[in-house]
Amino acid sequence: MTKPFTQASSEPDSDGLPGLAPGEEAVIALRGVAKWYGEVVAVSDLTFGIGAGVTALLGPNGAGKSTILNMVSGLIAPSSGTVRVLDRPVRRDTMIYREIGLAGEQEQLYGSLTGREFVRLNAILQKTPDPDGAAENAIAIVDMASAAGRALGGYSKGMRQRIKVAAALVHDPRVLLLDEPLNGTDPVQRASLIALIRRLGNEGKSVVVSSHVLPEVERFARNVLVIVNGKLAAAGDFRTIRERMDERDHMVRVRCDDPRRLAAALVAEPITKSIRLSGDGRFVAETNDVRRFSLLVPEVAKREGIRLFEMQPVDESLASVFSYLVGK
Amino acid sequence: MLTVRQFSGGRTARLALALSLIPALFAVIYLVRPWGITPNEFLVDLFRELVVPTLLPIVVLLPATAAFGNELEDGTLPYLLMKPVTRLRLAFGKYAAVLLVTVPALLVGVAAATLVASRGPDAEDLRRLFLAMAGASAAGAVLLGAVFLLVSLVVPRALLAGMIYIFAWESLLGRFLPGVQAVSSREYTLRVFNGLWDGDSAAASNAVMTMVVVAVVCLLLAVWRLRGIQIN
Repeated sequence: MTKPFTQASSEPDSDGLPGLAPGEEAVIALRGVAKWYGEVVAVSDLTFGIGAGVTALLGPNGAGKSTILNMVSGLIAPSSGTVRVLDRPVRRDTMIYREIGLAGEQEQLYGSLTGREFVRLNAILQKTPDPDGAAENAIAIVDMASAAGRALGGYSKGMRQRIKVAAALVHDPRVLLLDEPLNGTDPVQRASLIALIRRLGNEGKSVVVSSHVLPEVERFARNVLVIVNGKLAAAGDFRTIRERMDERDHMVRVRCDDPRRLAAALVAEPITKSIRLSGDGRFVAETNDVRRFSLLVPEVAKREGIRLFEMQPVDESLASVFSYLVGK
Repeated sequence: MLTVRQFSGGRTARLALALSLIPALFAVIYLVRPWGITPNEFLVDLFRELVVPTLLPIVVLLPATAAFGNELEDGTLPYLLMKPVTRLRLAFGKYAAVLLVTVPALLVGVAAATLVASRGPDAEDLRRLFLAMAGASAAGAVLLGAVFLLVSLVVPRALLAGMIYIFAWESLLGRFLPGVQAVSSREYTLRVFNGLWDGDSAAASNAVMTMVVVAVVCLLLAVWRLRGIQIN
């Protein structure tokens, strides 16, 4: 079901909460939520609902995405407003954690444990009937069976991300919260995690994935909540929001083995508005059609025989896109 | 078990055990130069002046402040908090882990010191003395384990705060100021020791009761703190 696009609003519409399709039941519901630390307001005026399927929490770094996930997971209390998961207050109700799994942003894990022991420990603490079987199953789902016997201290960032996801879903929760789960993963791991996220969403779980990378979100979520400066900027169907975002110029950072030649080839293209060489094998291009540009760069690089190492949106540019969206 | 494993696999347990063995080192020095005192007199002085006011609190402080403190510091505490486990069980589990590490270390230290000192001249009834020291050490660990566990949840630099408490309150002020003695772990641990050593079981029981009550209050406060804790 396509969800209606809702421009920034603190009030629930007549059919329910922003972010939900008409008549859809909220698995996660935030009403009038704000969180502040002394004089600093982290998030404010948040009212939205999240139903079944994959929902992306999209916003630039520092927008308040992690604060929202931490409130939904009960790790922090809102300064005002209410947060409910499965219609229960998440703080002070530890039994709700049978239904919630969180792969948070923290880097540190129990370094002395192996991946298998870590996932099994989570299964035991979740009181799953068969901790060994549940752990092996979760490890297999994230494709970590071959490395599960190694100590967590020796894991790469991508491996840590995957084992955290395994620990989060070991008890088969109805709600899965993933904070920037694709950070540090290589392309193969990324594709595998994206497939997993989509599959879990299709199974009817509520999967909330935070991300600041727009093209990434497009691959796994149709429903998005855009958070800018701690406020809900937009909620609803991704494509509608995307169209609005694409109206804005984007900055893309490119790294390759011959930046001058690639820049010269790209600047001739009408969708390239400007290119700024940074002198370290990189350049930043401004484009008025980021989707076409992302296809054009590898195509031109291949044609010119140039090795392309990296291509990613510049975060400040993304932030300005979000700001643009808020201003619309 | 995770906490026990973190302690036993890490430097905390090794350090706790090494510190617990310091009295044995003093006992070796005593054997070389006995200062004209009996092993009993030596061990009683050692226990009253070194173990109770300084070593015992430090041995307990290290794992007790690390039990929650390490996870708070490195951000792994959500893995425990986000489980269908009551905060009461969480706090008591950590407390049990602290005792599982500290009490054996303290007993090994006291036993080693007693064993070494027993080779000195005119040793008598060292078994009873060992039992008195062991009982008092365990009681002290029960009290201080709960106190420091609570401290780790309410004070940002719990280890430093604990060290200041040990050296300023227990080791220094507790010796000279009667008011401080009334609220020091040193005083109650010594009451247990004196009671067991002198055969005054009523005095020892009263002190143990007070220590257990304070420990339970500290643990309940730790549970209350865990319920309200915010991890960002």
